[in-house]
Amino acid sequence: MKIFRWKAIVPLVFLLALIVTGWVFYLDTLVKHSVESAGAAVVGARVDLEKASVRILHGTVRLTGLQVTDPDSPMRNLFEAGELVAAVSPGPLFQKKIVIDSLLVRGVRFGTPRRESGALANPSSESKWVAKQVSEWASQIRIPQFSLKGLGSQVVNIPAISVDSLRAASQARAILSSTDSLRGSWEARVTSLDPRPRIDSAQQMVERLKTADVKALGVAGTRDLIAKTRTTVDGLTGAINQMKALERTVSDGVTGLKSNVAALDDARQADYAYARGLVNLPSLDAPDISPALFGSMALERLKPILYWVEMAERYMPPGLDPRARTGPKRVRASGLTVDYPRAQTYPGFLLRFADLEFSLEGENGAAGAYRAQVAGLTTEPTLYGRPMQVVAQRTGGKVGPRTVRMFGQLDHSKTPLRDSVLMSLGGLTLPTVALPPLNARVALGDGSTDITLSRTGDHLAGRWYVRTSQATWEKTAGPSAATRGATDQAQAVVEDLLWRTISGMRDIEIEARMSGTLARPSVSVRSNVGSAVAEGLKKAVGEEVAKAERLVRAKVDSLVAAGRREVDERVAALQTGVQARITEQRAQLERTKAELEARLKELAPKLPGGLQVPGGVRLPG
Amino acid sequence: MLLLKLLQQLFKTLNSDGTPGQVAAGIALGAALGLTPLLNLHNLVILGVAVMVNVSLAGFALGWALFVPLGFALDPVFDRLGQALLIHTPALRPLWTSWYNSAVALTSFNNSVVLGSVIGWLVLALPIYVVFRIAVARYRVHVYERLKKTTFFKAVAASKLYNVYRLFQPPT
Repeated sequence: MKIFRWKAIVPLVFLLALIVTGWVFYLDTLVKHSVESAGAAVVGARVDLEKASVRILHGTVRLTGLQVTDPDSPMRNLFEAGELVAAVSPGPLFQKKIVIDSLLVRGVRFGTPRRESGALANPSSESKWVAKQVSEWASQIRIPQFSLKGLGSQVVNIPAISVDSLRAASQARAILSSTDSLRGSWEARVTSLDPRPRIDSAQQMVERLKTADVKALGVAGTRDLIAKTRTTVDGLTGAINQMKALERTVSDGVTGLKSNVAALDDARQADYAYARGLVNLPSLDAPDISPALFGSMALERLKPILYWVEMAERYMPPGLDPRARTGPKRVRASGLTVDYPRAQTYPGFLLRFADLEFSLEGENGAAGAYRAQVAGLTTEPTLYGRPMQVVAQRTGGKVGPRTVRMFGQLDHSKTPLRDSVLMSLGGLTLPTVALPPLNARVALGDGSTDITLSRTGDHLAGRWYVRTSQATWEKTAGPSAATRGATDQAQAVVEDLLWRTISGMRDIEIEARMSGTLARPSVSVRSNVGSAVAEGLKKAVGEEVAKAERLVRAKVDSLVAAGRREVDERVAALQTGVQARITEQRAQLERTKAELEARLKELAPKLPGGLQVPGGVRLPG
Repeated sequence: MLLLKLLQQLFKTLNSDGTPGQVAAGIALGAALGLTPLLNLHNLVILGVAVMVNVSLAGFALGWALFVPLGFALDPVFDRLGQALLIHTPALRPLWTSWYNSAVALTSFNNSVVLGSVIGWLVLALPIYVVFRIAVARYRVHVYERLKKTTFFKAVAASKLYNVYRLFQPPT
């Protein structure tokens, strides 16, 4: 029987040719689906492509009608591009890697409406994870409340403050729990290291050395005794080292706990502001009023930036460690696909250079044509070795020239990651901001906005600055004087006073600053509107508010005092208990060791000759 | 209809001219297409081998059809096996890194399900071959003579009408 079917070669070649031909014909569709699915995984919303055209021999890929949904607003496109032409390096394709030498993008438009929702039923785990991270980050930032409802009424609903809602109280509980857990762990280690048996055994050895008679023991017996003593001394040295290591661990732990205890004071300051908001008591300080008025808006502007910074970290991580991602969508399970970057090879994806032309619609000063360049966009920045850079500038517009600058640099080639974004737009129509506490809204009109964001490792520093001199104010519907109760009349007076103060303001500045780490972020907001409101309030109700605020502070103090006391006591007890016990045990070990060594030295001169033992003692050889 | 077609294929294969070894080898090769994700380069190679080497092509098709459900069912196992090899075995990392940065990457070996299922098939291929070789030989000696007299067998054989029906079936 023949093993090979030689006659099958022709049909096989024909079959392969058929498969290759089918693949070439199907390649456009394949690329279209790949762009859509990979894009959706990155963006976290639908990415639609009208057509893809691949010309293998020319090494070009032409994508037409690309629409990328805004993940925060599924009925709007983040951007759409009329045409993208990419020159692809053919070599890396044989390693399933995509290296785009140049990319030309034409007809980009931002914020265009969609015919159907671009929300995904099941967004990729990566985008879900990042969105969750950003949400958690935002939820940690407490925007203070601002309300005039507490004015005019003498009722300050102090019991409304729950101890569970106070940050200082929850942090104190966390410290207590951490203290207990550390105490348990350290005590277990102290027990496991219990040096008592070793000390007792060493003491017995000391006694034996005291009564040891070299003549009676002879050379061999003395050597044996010396060896046993040396073993005991070594054992004691090991135990002392272990105790010292534990002592260092405990000392570091106690220092960490103390720094957490010190942070309770900051938490208490935040609780004062929070409690003041809960009882509808307005702050009289501009630094508190501005975040209350514009904090939520600033946070909404900063969240998308943070989302993309996080996404960039996720998809452009530093280093050459293997990285796992969800496998391709197929009928069978997707599994995990693991990439193994190696020095001096191509990255999985690299866009060397891209040139984009885009336009902003509308009639305002920012409307017009723009041009942007991107260089070094890659999934393995360490292999590329240089930062990714984006530059954008205006190339023409309907209205006179205005300032438009944008520069971004993401350096993920090594740790710590260094990102910076600088954007300055002039002549934009700024949004209208509702200010419910003031029963007003302000249309910011044409103005300018600057955004800067820098990040080094975990530390973020950002600034969003808005400036306009064309603000117009509008009073929104609030309760009329007739429908107000008698106790609300004073509030109405304050509102009118504030309205007179702010409604004449044409020049408005809002500045939001973000700082700290992702784990412990902080946002501060400053605005001349906040300062004006603070001044107005101080004139109107300063004394009454200050009095009520003292009550609120006293209430917060009373709620957190017990927790704080307990924390102080437990941390002190931990220090004096466990730490002192370890120090005492180490001292005992050291005393015993010193005594043992002294006895050993006393024993040595009784012997003639020289056998070297630790501590400079010589025994006969 | 699909089940009937599968039964017809089964009988046709078991009674074909091929030796039990050829049928079993065909089934073992076909099992690769059923157990592993279909659209991958290794399956093209296996198809080429099945065509070039003198194994039963009917057996190959039968193996494919028989092992598709098993492939789906074993996906979680393949995934775990693949992850264990790709992520949790540092000793293999230099091998994966070298493959990833060469044309071997076209095989998608770095996907946990692909790698796990290919390894799974390699492990199962020999037992599949042995079991089916014995089974086909015994079937031909002991079972076939008795089976062909049964009503069930006659019914399936009579379902050649099914093939006639297919001639009139509108294209889908």
